[in-house]
Amino acid sequence: MTDSFTANLPVYVIIAPLFVAIVLPTFARLKRLVQGLVLLVGVLGVAGTGYLAYMVLSKEGFPMIYSMGGWPAPWGIELVVGNLGAFFLLVVSGVSLPVALFSRDNLTVEVGGKERVARFYVFYLLLVGALSGMALTHDLFNVYVLVEVATLSCCALVSSRKHPRAAEAAFNYLILATLGSALVMGGIGFIYMITGHLNMGFASQEINRIWQHNPHVVWLAFSFMLVGFGVKSALFPLHIWLPDAHSTAPSPASAILSGLAVKGYMICLLKVLYNVFGHSLMQEFAVHRIMVLAGTIAILAGSISAMTQDDLKRRLAFSTVAQVGYIILGFGIVNTKGLAGTLFYLASHAVIKSLLFLSAGSIIAVTGKKKVSELAGIGRKMPITMATFTIASLSLIGIPLFSGFIGKWHLLVGSMEAGNFLPTAVIIIGSVLCAAYLLPVIRVAYFESAPQEDWKDPGFSQKLALIVLAAATVILGVVPGPFLELATRAATDLLMR
Amino acid sequence: MNLLANKLIINYPYFAAVILFMIGALTVLTRSNLFKKLLGINIMESAIFLLFVAGGNIRGGASPILDNTHADAVYINPLPSALMLTGIVVSVSVTAFALALIIRLYKSYGTTDARQIALMRDEVTRK
Repeated sequence: MTDSFTANLPVYVIIAPLFVAIVLPTFARLKRLVQGLVLLVGVLGVAGTGYLAYMVLSKEGFPMIYSMGGWPAPWGIELVVGNLGAFFLLVVSGVSLPVALFSRDNLTVEVGGKERVARFYVFYLLLVGALSGMALTHDLFNVYVLVEVATLSCCALVSSRKHPRAAEAAFNYLILATLGSALVMGGIGFIYMITGHLNMGFASQEINRIWQHNPHVVWLAFSFMLVGFGVKSALFPLHIWLPDAHSTAPSPASAILSGLAVKGYMICLLKVLYNVFGHSLMQEFAVHRIMVLAGTIAILAGSISAMTQDDLKRRLAFSTVAQVGYIILGFGIVNTKGLAGTLFYLASHAVIKSLLFLSAGSIIAVTGKKKVSELAGIGRKMPITMATFTIASLSLIGIPLFSGFIGKWHLLVGSMEAGNFLPTAVIIIGSVLCAAYLLPVIRVAYFESAPQEDWKDPGFSQKLALIVLAAATVILGVVPGPFLELATRAATDLLMR
Repeated sequence: MNLLANKLIINYPYFAAVILFMIGALTVLTRSNLFKKLLGINIMESAIFLLFVAGGNIRGGASPILDNTHADAVYINPLPSALMLTGIVVSVSVTAFALALIIRLYKSYGTTDARQIALMRDEVTRK
């Protein structure tokens, strides 16, 4: 009994949110039940992924390969719980639970009536299910389907506020994201045409054997994948949909979109690049140089645009563009240290950015002020909210003892090992720029006199969510231990092929 | 030269896919009418479907239904077509969702032109 449960756990982790998402509209009127179910799914998800990660770390017969429907690999679809999968699953479940907790009271303010809240949760759960699927899947077409599920639910989350701006942002997002998924599907098509496989392992073996016969097709596949996932994960020149979409969405949605959804596409890109093409082919085609360059431009341009924004959520959205640059840059540093640092940074950015968006959201919900310049004295009126915002900002800048530092440090060491001067310099400049757009918010909030208004910290569940996320970034910064270990092992796995 | 021309002519479905993809992408990026953008997306996706299905085709191959009378016949690859069925389903849902968004935009702005919406944005938002 327990054995079959453990053996099927990877599927349960993906199916549970999807299943609840489908039955949820039935109870749309029972608000408590809806919220309870969502939280239950979140808690079960954390428990399940925690168990899987523990099993992976203690190496009990892992990586665990699950063949869907009992069909073995070249014909059936595989789910693989390896180091990378377990790592990203932990990130997804660990961040989505506090977001769900936060949204319990916040959503009625931001979205409206019971049925709209239920609809929000449907798409939230679909997104969580799709992201968990992205972590585990080992099949290219499965990647496409999950990417589409995630895209559609992201657009629906953006449009869940009843505001004309939200519909406009969602439409622009939908059009560009569909363009991106068409490119991704094209890339998958090219890989399938020259290899005849959709399973990542088999496609990888085949493509490394025959790429010399069809170098142009491999080029096309590379560029389609890079641009396709680049649009979806808002790599700099392709980011134009992101600031609107992430700043008009309700705050819990912004948190999960900026924190997790963008990361999901990047994990897919990472899998395609390293598990399908492999690092030797990447170096053969100099793709890693392109990624370092694209990441560099994204860091600089994103940070500078963030500085010019007065709207708090838009500033955070542009900051996401810059941080995406860090991760893309890290994917181009082909050594264990660099990749492990990138993965750790990806996880810590997921925590930090959701924390930033949630605390910004609770400030906006309480005060109604959206501009940075209007936040004078918030630090004294809403101490806990602003304290968590400050912790997240310091962590994002890369101050030691916070999780952002560990990721940036390993990234820095990795880029030095790779002997590449450009990323090393840019990582440091990016930190300075990050301080330049986040510290003014803190200065205004703490060191300017507060207006005579009755502003208080939000309710218990929202405070709890903020504190949990803030604690996570501090704990990851002080004792990165097992988490960093998992990231390092995942990086080693990626470089093995 | 002759060989290249031959190759290009033999592979005309791929050509058609590339041209369709370009028409679609151009429509999406240059037209300001929301419906035309959506049509562009649909054309682009059809191009990808064509690419996939053409990749699985074998000229003169039999349809992939196993029966004992033609055991040694060459069958076309059924997998790309099956995959594109999923792709079409996704494309339909994207279209439906985009149409719903267009209706919402039309209700609040009274137009389906992206440029006019951008002009009216501040006015409507302030209300």
